[in-house]
Parts: sequence; structure tokens; C-alpha cells
Amino acid sequence: MGEELELLELTVKVVNNLGLHARVATRMAQAMQNYACKVTLVKDGVEVNAKSVLGLLLLAAAPGTELLVKAQGPDRQKAVEEIKRLIEDENPEAN
Amino acid sequence: MRTPKQIDRKRPADLAQPLDNDANKVMKGLGVSGGIAIGQVIALERLSTEIYPQRILKPEEVTGELRRFESAVRDAEAQLKQVKKMIGPGHPLQNHLYILDTHILLLEDRMFFQGTQDIIVSERQNAEWALSTIISTISAAFDTIEDEYLRERARDVHFVGERVLRILMGYSEKGSIRQLPPNSVIVAHDLSPADTLQIQKDSVLGFAIEMGGRTSHTAIIARSMKLPAVTGLENISRQVQTGETIIIDGSTGAVILNPDPETIFRFRQHQEVYRNYHQGLMTFGRLPAVTSDGAGSVRIMANIELMDEIDLALDHGAEGIGLFRTEYLFLGRRDLPSEEEQYEAYKHVVGACPPNSVTIRTLDVGADKIASNLNIEAEANPAMGLRAIRLCLGRKDLFKTQLRAIFRAAAHGCCRLLVPMISCMTELRNTKEIIEEVKEELAKAGQEFDPDVRFGILVEVPSAVAIADLIARETDFFSIGTNDLIQYALAIDRVNEHVNYLYDTLHPAVLRLIRQIANAGQASGIPVAMCGEMAGYPVNIPILLGLGLGELSMNALSIPMVKKFIRSVSMEECEELTTRAFEMSAAQEIRGFLEDWIQERFPQDYFIDQS
Repeated sequence: MGEELELLELTVKVVNNLGLHARVATRMAQAMQNYACKVTLVKDGVEVNAKSVLGLLLLAAAPGTELLVKAQGPDRQKAVEEIKRLIEDENPEAN
Repeated sequence: MRTPKQIDRKRPADLAQPLDNDANKVMKGLGVSGGIAIGQVIALERLSTEIYPQRILKPEEVTGELRRFESAVRDAEAQLKQVKKMIGPGHPLQNHLYILDTHILLLEDRMFFQGTQDIIVSERQNAEWALSTIISTISAAFDTIEDEYLRERARDVHFVGERVLRILMGYSEKGSIRQLPPNSVIVAHDLSPADTLQIQKDSVLGFAIEMGGRTSHTAIIARSMKLPAVTGLENISRQVQTGETIIIDGSTGAVILNPDPETIFRFRQHQEVYRNYHQGLMTFGRLPAVTSDGAGSVRIMANIELMDEIDLALDHGAEGIGLFRTEYLFLGRRDLPSEEEQYEAYKHVVGACPPNSVTIRTLDVGADKIASNLNIEAEANPAMGLRAIRLCLGRKDLFKTQLRAIFRAAAHGCCRLLVPMISCMTELRNTKEIIEEVKEELAKAGQEFDPDVRFGILVEVPSAVAIADLIARETDFFSIGTNDLIQYALAIDRVNEHVNYLYDTLHPAVLRLIRQIANAGQASGIPVAMCGEMAGYPVNIPILLGLGLGELSMNALSIPMVKKFIRSVSMEECEELTTRAFEMSAAQEIRGFLEDWIQERFPQDYFIDQS
């Protein structure tokens, strides 16, 4: 239990050429709401809740931006991996 | 994006004499999805939520108001889910369904939902008022976003908010957008994704909307459905009535209310052209641009400035990108794009095209248009001021960042480097020195890059034409930028209505300048391309071919027409026409001669603008 309280951090780069746009933000918020852990994304010192589609849209991460993913709680490992997949996937439409 | 001359007709006001004051009212908006629609207006009347009730609640009313808000949100969610259900698998707009999910998520979002509830409780504002306040706050947050596409997402918050507001104010979802008469042209203040997704393609011919731009939902969906759409039509809803005839031109943004029969006839002709253009012509995109006698062969490329234009370009038969304008990365923002951001963009373009088929142009704007922290005083004549290569040479950090990004991206598929506005050899040599520095730095840092990126100049300044022979010895290729070359050479400001009648690509001076560039290129054995607009119009092609240009880069939409034209003429004919053109002394004479020749030679085709 103790180690789940530890913060898991990972840096990911936004690859998709439209940036963190509506489609990706929607899928991410929907996906993250299924996790119990607390998940946030940080860009240039601004931190938003990854379960909030509005927060993600307002983050306005353009292509090439590096984001810090922070997660804390029981299923944080899987949450972080899923975020990484969503952000680093160049062609999310193909999935 | 500009359209080929075939669809770029004179302003509608010039076309027809109105029978009475009410006929042929012309409005100009933004064309966001090409094509012409002639149909009857279906005015989507939505009672406005601009004016909503505002009152301070009595303390005992707060709980009830919270519940009323919550109930309205639940209803909104149910409405959206209902729309989702209607879009079964196989629906042409399947791809856009996700936006309904975005709206549903927005309804549930803390900032939105909780935010409104907090205001109801703390300020004791009624639900409509509290909701409008939250929407304004969130919209304001979006305003600070620099990227146009991402910023436009603020509209989604508006749509969602408006849906809830309408429920709170007791407005029913009037007039089913699902049951429209055939030949409908939808006129509305705005269309939400829920609206557009419910539209039956068979009944709707096009859209005329007050709000929105190129990245709005209406535009995106209209392009997906290949229906004409015009946005930015201020107050059109108040000027039309359901049942009236309307013409919309999604390429030029023109809208004509109550057109008279003559106008309708003209537009039906243009519609034919547009349809033929898209159906028959697209096949030519897949063919090589080789003259009928096989003696001439030209590379046909596309000019683009945004990444999402690549698919359109390749679809229309572009063999690559002859001009990738990089300004969009720098405009409309307060900071400068990082090397990483630029690298990702260039890498994407290079990767999306066949190897060795992309030409990237370095920054071509003035200091006034980019990052306001560059601290440069306003110039009286920016067109001839500190811009393009001059700005880059003055700001080495900016220039090197872009160059590094380009050289690194080139490792993924080879590309050429194009430098704008070179006017003398010193500038050229300074540029090349900086390029060498960049290559050394990248090598030292162990970065992956292509050291053999070919370097060329955009020939647009008349002094560069005059010394083209000297420049050709120290560059790898030329690309002729006729848009600016013609302005500089003829001393015309293209957007000045008083003098732009002088602008003519077939001015004898222009032809001679092009000939000089082509000859200089041939003497040094370097390829000569053209990326100016001139390359996209068939009437100019015989001379461009006759002068020996090997590559033409143009607006993607022009490509099929140009390829068809090239395949229809022989090099012999082109050379003959070129000789004849050079014997003439006035632009009008040359143009008349070429147009007559083309019309006589190809009576069935639409190579020349018929209007």
C-alpha cells in the first residue's frame, strides 16, 4: 500500500501533428475516468487533471511539446502507460 | 486556399442586372468548403440565448436551483446520447462521432458543472446567469491559446453551454433538422456538431452560417461530406426566409440571396465546371505531366502551408511539395517555435511524401508579424523591409533553430532548402556560411541529420534575376516566385485596387525575366522550378514549358487541370507559342493570343475562365 502513495512520473512528447486536440483529449479523459488513481499532466508548470476534458483542452499542448505525466494511487502504472500510448500515437485515427 | 481561375469568376455583382432591388443581394463570407449550391433556404431558427434571465436567488431557492441545473444537464446529456444512437455504423460521418463524446464529457467536467453550481451557491445567481458566467470564464481561458485549431475548441464549450441554457429557458428543440425538404441550403447562426451529425446528406446542398471559420465543426463536416459551405455571414439569418432561393459558392465565399434567372443560369454553368473538374479531372492527377509528343516532362508539385493540406495535395496528384511555407509555425503567437516543435512539423511533411520531393522554405515574413518580443519598430514599408532572409540573417539564433530543425528532419526522407528574398551574392554567401555552421554543430552534437540537403533560392527580387547567372553557380536549384517578382518588377501593390489591374503574368517583362532565370539555370545545369501562382493556370503553361522549366508547384486544386493541359499539348506547339508570344509587346495582346489559341484548340475543355 505504501508504495502506491509514491508519485510515478514520466515525460512524454506530443507527436500527433494536431497537438493534444479534441479527439485525443476526449479519449484520454474517458479512459482516465476508469482509473482510481489521481493522474495529472504538466506543461510549462501548468498542471491539469487528466480526467478533465476541459483541463486537457486548455493545456493546449502543441506538437513537439513535452508533457510530464504524474500519477498516484493503486493502478497508476497502467494509467501512465495508457496516457503514453495515447500521446505518442501518431495516428490515433487508425486505432 | 485560393482556387484555380476556372472557379475564380468576377464578383457576382458584375454578373447580372438585378430585376428589382430585392434580387441578387450579394453577401461575402469565408468559403470553407468548395463547390456551388443552388437551392432553397432552410432557416434554422433557434431562439437566441444571448439574453437570459438574471436574478439573485433567495437563500431558500438555492437548493431548488441546483436541482434545476442538474436536471437540465442530465437532459442535455440525454439529448446528445440520443443523437449518438441515431448515427449507426456505416454512417458517413462515423469518424466525427467522437465530438459528441467530447460534449458529453464537457457537461460532466468539474470546471463546467461544479463551477456553475459553486456560483449558484456562493453568488446566489440563477442557473442561467451562473452558467453564462462560467462559459465566459472558460472561453477567456481559451483565448490565451496560440494555436488556432486548439483555440477554436472554445466553441465546443459554447455549444454545450447553449444546449443547457436552452433547456433551462424552456426552449424546445424546434424544427427537426432531420426532416428537410430536398435542395435545402441550411442558413443558421451556428451549427453544433450534434446538428451537423444529424443532417441527411440527400436533402442538404450546402451551408450558409454566421459563425465559425476554417476549423469550425461546420467547415470540417462540410468538407467531409463534400458539401459547399460559407461561414462568417454576419446576420444572414435575419435577411432570409425559409423557401427563398439562394446561391452559395464555397470556394469564393460569395452568397447570393434571391438570385434572378440569369444569375442562376450562370451559376449552374459554374457548377457544371466545378463538378466536371472534380469528377473527370481527378483521374488526370494520377498521370504524369508529359506532353502529347512525349518530348516534354514536368514535375508537378503542390504549394502548402498547413500540414493538413498534404493529403489534399497528394490526392490531387502532387508528386511532392514544391513549396512548404513555414510561417504558420511562427504566426499568431507570442513566442518563437522551438527547434523540437519545428522538427516534428518538418519531419511529418517529409515523411508523408515520397523521398526527395519536399522543398521547405525558410521563414518569409517581416518582424512585425512574429513574436512581439523581437523589439523591432514598425516599418513604413514592410514589404521591402526587414523580412525573410534579411530578418533571418539579422537574427541568427532564430535562423539557426529553423535550419537545425530542417536538416534533422531531412534525415527522414530528404528535402530541399529554399531561401526567400535573396537580393545579392553577399546575402547568399552569408546564408551558406550559416548553413555550414549549423551542419558542424549538428555533427559535433552527434545529431542525426542529412548533410546533403540541396540549397536553392526563391527568385523574386529583380536584382536576383539580373545576377541569376552568378547566383546559379553557387546554388543547387532555382524556384521562381512570380507573385512577388511581378509586384517588385512592375512596381505594383497587388492588393491596391487602383493599380492591381496592371498585374499580369503575361506581361512581356515578366516573360523575359523568367526566360533570363531559366537560361541562367540551364547554363549552370541546375533545375529551375516555379512556385508562384502563375504555374497553376493553363494559359501560362505553354510559355513555361517553352522556356524549359522542369517543375511547377501550385495550389493542389489546380493540379489535375494543369496535368490534363500538359498532356494535351505538344512541346512543338509550346515552343511555337513561346516564340510568337515573345514577338508581341503588350500583355493584353499575348493573353488574347494564348486564350484564343487554347479555346480553338480545345473547345470542349474549361482551360480558360469562361466568365
